[in-house]
Amino acid sequence: MTNIKPNSSSHKSDPNRRQVLAGSAAVAAIGAFGLPVGAQTTAAPAASGAFASLGVPHVRRDGAEKARGGAKFAAEYSYPGMVYGALVYSTIARGTITSLETAEAEAAPGVVLVMTHENAPRLERPEPFYSSPTGMAGSSTPVMQDAEVLWNGQPVAVVLASTQEEADHAATLINVAYEEADAVTSFDVAAESAQTSFYAGRDLLIEEGDAEAALADAEVSVDLSFNTPAHNHNQIEPHAVTVLWKDGILRMHDCSQGVDLSAITIAKVFGISSAEVHLSAEYVGGGFGGKTVWQYHILAAAASQLADRPVRMSLTREGVFRICGARAPTRQRVALGSDRKGRLTSLIHTGTTMKIENNSMTEPFFEQSEHMYRADNMHLEIRAGTMDMLANTFMRAPGAATGTFTLEVALDELAERLAIDPIELRVRNEPDVNPTTGREHSQRASVDAYREGARRFGWVPRSGQRQGYREGEWQVGTGMAAAYYPYKRFPGGAARITLDREGGALIETAAADMGMGTTTATAAVASERLGIPYDAIEVRHGDNTLPGALIAAASQQTAAIGASLTAAHEVLLAELASLVPATSPLHGLPAAELGTAEGALYSLADPHQRIPLIDLVAWSESGTVSAEGQGGPISEWTQDWSMHSTGAVFTEVRVNSVTGEIRVPHITAIYDCGKILNSKLAESQFRGGIIMALGMTLMEGASFDERNGRVMNPSFGSYYMPTHLDVPHIDVGWTDIPDPQAPTGARGIGEIGMSGPAAAISNAIYDATGKRARDLPIRLDALM
Amino acid sequence: MTVRFLLNGEPECVEAGATETLLEWLREQRGLTGTKEGCNEGDCGACSVIVTGADGAARAMNACILFLPQLQGLAVRTVEGVSGQDGALHPVQEAMVAHHGSQCGFCTPGFVTTMAAAHKNGAKDHDDQLAGNLCRCTGYAPIIRAADAASAKPVPEWMAEPLDGFDPGETMHVMPDSADALAEWYLAHPEATLIGGATDVGLWVTKQLRDLPEVAFLSRCTDLQQIDVTGDTLRIGAACTITQVLEAVRDVHPSFAELLRRYGSVQVRNAATIGGNIANGSPIGDSPPALIALGAILHLRKGEARRDMPLEDFFIAYGKQDRGPGEFVEAVSIPRQKDRLKCYKLSKRHDQDISAVCGCFNIAVAGGSVAKARIAFGGMAGTPRRALAVEAALIGKAWTEDNIEAALAAFDEDFQPLSDMRASADYRMKTAKNMLRRAYVESLGVPSNVLEVRP
Repeated sequence: MTNIKPNSSSHKSDPNRRQVLAGSAAVAAIGAFGLPVGAQTTAAPAASGAFASLGVPHVRRDGAEKARGGAKFAAEYSYPGMVYGALVYSTIARGTITSLETAEAEAAPGVVLVMTHENAPRLERPEPFYSSPTGMAGSSTPVMQDAEVLWNGQPVAVVLASTQEEADHAATLINVAYEEADAVTSFDVAAESAQTSFYAGRDLLIEEGDAEAALADAEVSVDLSFNTPAHNHNQIEPHAVTVLWKDGILRMHDCSQGVDLSAITIAKVFGISSAEVHLSAEYVGGGFGGKTVWQYHILAAAASQLADRPVRMSLTREGVFRICGARAPTRQRVALGSDRKGRLTSLIHTGTTMKIENNSMTEPFFEQSEHMYRADNMHLEIRAGTMDMLANTFMRAPGAATGTFTLEVALDELAERLAIDPIELRVRNEPDVNPTTGREHSQRASVDAYREGARRFGWVPRSGQRQGYREGEWQVGTGMAAAYYPYKRFPGGAARITLDREGGALIETAAADMGMGTTTATAAVASERLGIPYDAIEVRHGDNTLPGALIAAASQQTAAIGASLTAAHEVLLAELASLVPATSPLHGLPAAELGTAEGALYSLADPHQRIPLIDLVAWSESGTVSAEGQGGPISEWTQDWSMHSTGAVFTEVRVNSVTGEIRVPHITAIYDCGKILNSKLAESQFRGGIIMALGMTLMEGASFDERNGRVMNPSFGSYYMPTHLDVPHIDVGWTDIPDPQAPTGARGIGEIGMSGPAAAISNAIYDATGKRARDLPIRLDALM
Repeated sequence: MTVRFLLNGEPECVEAGATETLLEWLREQRGLTGTKEGCNEGDCGACSVIVTGADGAARAMNACILFLPQLQGLAVRTVEGVSGQDGALHPVQEAMVAHHGSQCGFCTPGFVTTMAAAHKNGAKDHDDQLAGNLCRCTGYAPIIRAADAASAKPVPEWMAEPLDGFDPGETMHVMPDSADALAEWYLAHPEATLIGGATDVGLWVTKQLRDLPEVAFLSRCTDLQQIDVTGDTLRIGAACTITQVLEAVRDVHPSFAELLRRYGSVQVRNAATIGGNIANGSPIGDSPPALIALGAILHLRKGEARRDMPLEDFFIAYGKQDRGPGEFVEAVSIPRQKDRLKCYKLSKRHDQDISAVCGCFNIAVAGGSVAKARIAFGGMAGTPRRALAVEAALIGKAWTEDNIEAALAAFDEDFQPLSDMRASADYRMKTAKNMLRRAYVESLGVPSNVLEVRP
């Protein structure tokens, strides 16, 4: 048994609201004692005291500024002469604009410009993800370049006016006539002609052996269908940008998850160099995969150019739903065959999703099925139908969010037929090496997570019999599921370290912080690496003029920053070596034989030989020592190792027999994600993911009118997300075993929380009611 | 037209249109961008500010659907004014930092103001106080921990609102100061829109971009904000906020109070009025079914003419109420009675969601038989409606499981519900019937409340 750190209260506490507080207070208290402060540091001299930073639950660096209301978001920059933008959205799914009446809007109070395809500047099509290494756009659909309409909600006119109210008003005065064309706006119709799709440079098809034959021959089998709807990120900050063209530079205050890639993508659209775009996003009000490049950026910049005025384009909530894509709907089939002992002989995970003609994002919902369990025969395939809709895109745990739901419900059903405990079934199929690539695991303790979760939750093993019981109106049950998310590290990471005369350091990197605590984690990693106190480290981020082309996506940014800092540190050691005076015993030592710790440069061979960094900085010509490095090859996960995070999620569920209402009073989740760099940041990431998954399970879904492709619930009053009272008592823990192949030992934590709860809840609902819920969200009437 | 109020303790004089929102003004005119726009319809709480009136109670409200004239003579405090002038953090701000209650930071100012209002009032029911603020990052637990950690700390002196020495003067906006004045003005302007809390009318402006040529604000009609308790009735003035009504019924009809708690967030309850909830005639307004079950009488007034009617008679058809031009809801009276009311609100999401079905049961059993029954539903028809056939099927019969089952068929006489995005017709009918079963089982002492769920 590995050493799993206790960091939360036991299952025995009463999860009513008052007790949640007590439980939560216990989390904070126990967490502070249970975490391995500075335990990672083995190099001499040991980092300790003020120098120990990794694993320390530092508070978020920008917390006070945010709590004061002083943090400036994209829609909060002003320039003299700035005007406000409003969009007019198409009301048909596909066709041609036959006329645009704009005269009344142009004459309306305050209006300075009405832009349509007739007067918009000529622009290149944006580069979507995967079309090039720097593509950051949701689709390559041309931006107001012609009369063609490709989705219901496409912007067909931009109004600029002196105030937002004037712009909004004038937008209502524009009349657009269309000639409608046939459009595919029904998922059913699109599914009929769906083709095997591709994602991230590969076809979404894996076949090993003959899975169908093995399924037919299996001693025990299940063969199930599932449906999941479209989801919206619903960051609380609606997308916004403030734009200014000045002195040949396109200045953009944005809310991007990847400032550098956004700037490059936008520069290409305007046919200018990326050096002519200065794009920053110091604060990002939530991203979850959706804060990338959408049409509003380009329309704002184009209209600003045309009107020669600074422009603020702040989308309404409805506007976000109309023009910023989110997770695509899926239909999935999971079929499992096994022998009587539960060894999988066949694993089939296939299904259909949708994309549009102009993007290359296919929801990769079979990824966990590639990596979680060994099976003698496999067939994994995702087909995508093409629809005339808003582009779908990445949303927290793409693929795994819905894919673990279906796979893990199927395993529960198989376990029941086998009369084997669901945990035991998973343990029996735990792979020694990666099931599809054959690579060794860099670090994997899934079984420990299952066992520890079961212990903390108080899991009652079962063998084919429901454990659920009745309490008054309430049917009570428990369920579990595994969680999964891959490790990734994208290329392009870079960072600059600058040492100052006071013994501090400045870290600069174009990384994004949309709330995860990037600057806080970066400072901790830098402190550890440099041997400089955490509080003496300043971090600048979120600006494309800083080094690197990072993106806060796929839970990989912290790993990318870690690798960048390692590289920059190596360059820094060489710089410092060049400053060592001839009289010093360190003189002449190559960088590889030097290290930094406790504010000094020292010899690895003889740690007592050291020179304070402030002396070295003082001896430099410029009074600072600066070094920039780029993260190295990313082969650790692309070629060498199987690197995946896993976890175990347990829930209790109560279903009301009178109304079908579902309550989730308790969730326990244990994750195996490598080292946890900051327990407070991590706990919030896990919890936030679990709550979003709870929303996906019980209430979230974007509804489309299949007749015309229009989203019907584009507001917080009709697209529901969990509020406080929906939030159960959540007990989160982690194995905290460093991954030796990851730059900081950490594999990424931002998305795995999204994986697991849906299946665990569905499985618990079955335990409670005897009814299987295989469609999301699980509606109240499904259980009546 | 001028509106005067205190902003973060300092007098502010604003030229404001009648339907200009506080949020728009704060962010774009006043340059105070700490108050955020997340949804512009009162669903997310990112724009929460603290509004204080003469009574000194701090009220969290949504600035996005608060019109500037509503603030005449009041004190407004934004997140910028929650910290001290030297930038000193308020205890709730300190706690939000220490407990990682802020992640992306966009919802944070709204949480801080809502929390600071609760902190000033000494409220400790954090889940309820903060239920109107959405967060997509944290999973809420750190925020609740922060609220709990701050609750014992003293209120900083800078949170005091110097309303005593503040003379707001007069405003040219139509703000009658009594029901009489309102009656007279409305008779002369029968096409005007009366604005109570603007939680509904606000959306006409922010979402539908409607022009409201003529409006009157009820916020200074203090006589419409009174709750009078006599031996016979509880008379609630139309401009009483849901917060006031909740307090008034908390002890006498606790199930109604819990329904009102779920009616909307603290921010919405602090603004919305009972008269508005009745007069807008929504088929899914939550107060009418409870009021009808209690036998409430509606008091209408037009000029000097007054008329009373059972509340259920006010709702004629979908979108159509028995209210003439220039006529307004003056009050609603609840007969004093022994509490037997059971309110069952059923919605997709537990809090801050419109009801799919709202069933309210007021059944008196004497000597084992049903002596009286008033049952009303929202969400089952185009209006809030009494279940007369069900009542008739129960009255005079023994209060037994068999008779309950026999009465269920009467639901089909009373209601032909619709299918819509909230629920299907079948589900509505099934759960409405189940609610009667629940009322019976509950009368035997079996717990059923969602909030009573225990492991």
